[in-house]
Amino acid sequence: MTTFMASLRTTLAGYINYRGREGHYSFLLHRLTGLGTLLFLTIHIVDTATVYWMPELYDHAIALYRLPIFMIGEMGLVFSVIFHGVNGLRIIYQDMVKPSSWSIHTQRRAARVTLVVSILIWLPAAYIMARSLLAHL
Amino acid sequence: MTTATTSARANVKPTPTYETIAWKWMRYSGVLLIPLVWIHVLIQDVLVGVHAIDLNYVVERWANIGWQIYDILLLAFTFAHGMNGLRQVAFDFFQTDKARRNLSWILFIGWLVISFIGAAAILGAAAKHLA
Repeated sequence: MTTFMASLRTTLAGYINYRGREGHYSFLLHRLTGLGTLLFLTIHIVDTATVYWMPELYDHAIALYRLPIFMIGEMGLVFSVIFHGVNGLRIIYQDMVKPSSWSIHTQRRAARVTLVVSILIWLPAAYIMARSLLAHL
Repeated sequence: MTTATTSARANVKPTPTYETIAWKWMRYSGVLLIPLVWIHVLIQDVLVGVHAIDLNYVVERWANIGWQIYDILLLAFTFAHGMNGLRQVAFDFFQTDKARRNLSWILFIGWLVISFIGAAAILGAAAKHLA
């Protein structure tokens, strides 16, 4: 347990103190959006499965998702799914298509472009979802 | 290999192990997940919205074999990609072989159980409610 705590501290300190600028932030954002999406996905598989296993519970699950706080969370989820996908494409391109073109300069620019593209894709979706949120307040 | 340079290193192909296959799997499944997940999110979260979704909506969707196949693929690929991603993140925090092996088994069993719960619902719900 003490070795685990030590390794936890070292790893977390590395996550926070590493000074890799754009690369560091896109690494952290990729992990956070991935873990956040997985957390929701796990809950979502189980709550949707109640349609078959315990149909009387499904309306309660949906009622929760209709709360304003969950609808705001849903907008964050949509951003996570978009960013994780666009950034994933950047990683795949760099790892599998053009590994020889790697340089700090192009990677920093690619990380910034990735974030801008993700936000641009997210904005129209966020607009439609925000409109729905306001209509159901 | 004692005098490996950057250019020599770039040409070394690692012998495939479980971890190199898992590494490639994340990239191949990632490409597939972009249309699969984005279309699902666009339809259900953005265009339909949670206020239009209820038990009937889900049952009617799963009465269609096309959506059943779509959702089975979605379940299989998203959850496997996500659980392997969690395994890779967790390996940063668990560094002994024993801890990593135990963790991998726990995640594998969790993946299997939840995948079964979801797959049974996709395949069985329409038959149960529309019978």
